[in-house]
Amino acid sequence: MTTQLTVESRREEPNLAVLSLMGEVDVANVPQVREEALRLLAAGVKGLVVDLGGVEYMDSSGLGMLVGLQKRMREADGKLALASPRPRVERLLDITGLARIFAVYEDVEGALKEVAG
Amino acid sequence: MKATETADVELRIPRRPEFVRVARMAARAVAAQLDFTYDLIMDIELAVGEACTNSVEHVSLESCREVFTRFSAEPDRLVIEVIDHGQGFDPERPGGEGGGGLGLDVIRGVMDEVYIECGEGGGTRVRMVKYRPKG
Repeated sequence: MTTQLTVESRREEPNLAVLSLMGEVDVANVPQVREEALRLLAAGVKGLVVDLGGVEYMDSSGLGMLVGLQKRMREADGKLALASPRPRVERLLDITGLARIFAVYEDVEGALKEVAG
Repeated sequence: MKATETADVELRIPRRPEFVRVARMAARAVAAQLDFTYDLIMDIELAVGEACTNSVEHVSLESCREVFTRFSAEPDRLVIEVIDHGQGFDPERPGGEGGGGLGLDVIRGVMDEVYIECGEGGGTRVRMVKYRPKG
């Protein structure tokens, strides 16, 4: 039994990537997301956009993973931005007070400009 | 379900990450039987998911293999208890990887009342209340 989640990544430029999540992010599949993100970092990505437009459910496990990812990006002189969160995820960011620590954009294009700058 | 009726639903899941979703789906189904709005149903699902995740992440497998969830629909409220029989934890300092204390912040943020009891002999009971909308 697995939680329904599709993880896709694409390179916009050699050091710029978009990680797209579609489905539900919870404690069962956070390792899958983290693994893909760390693979991109190890491959030299310095600007990463996490596209949340397809995320129907996320809990604190997912948020914790994003916080850890942001820390690693900063340590590697990189940038992380979140794109297109749905209202449920926006609410989660607000409840936890984490909305203020992430760069959050309405769309992937805006987020890409942030991490490319 | 009529507001004057009461009902109890009980669920026992293996204390493993992939089964948290089962408890979430149960929470969603129970809340949908009552007169909660879609957004409140989603809040209740989130709270149950967080409480079960807490049991999965902060309890050693040796000490606890199951998580028990009880939904009690009362005329004016839905009471949910998530219980494990692990070694317990300090609710003020849950620690651990991943969400850490974030999960408890989320539960407190979406439910109307939250009580966390950690027994001296082990075991944690998270009791959450959501008041039903007045018709």
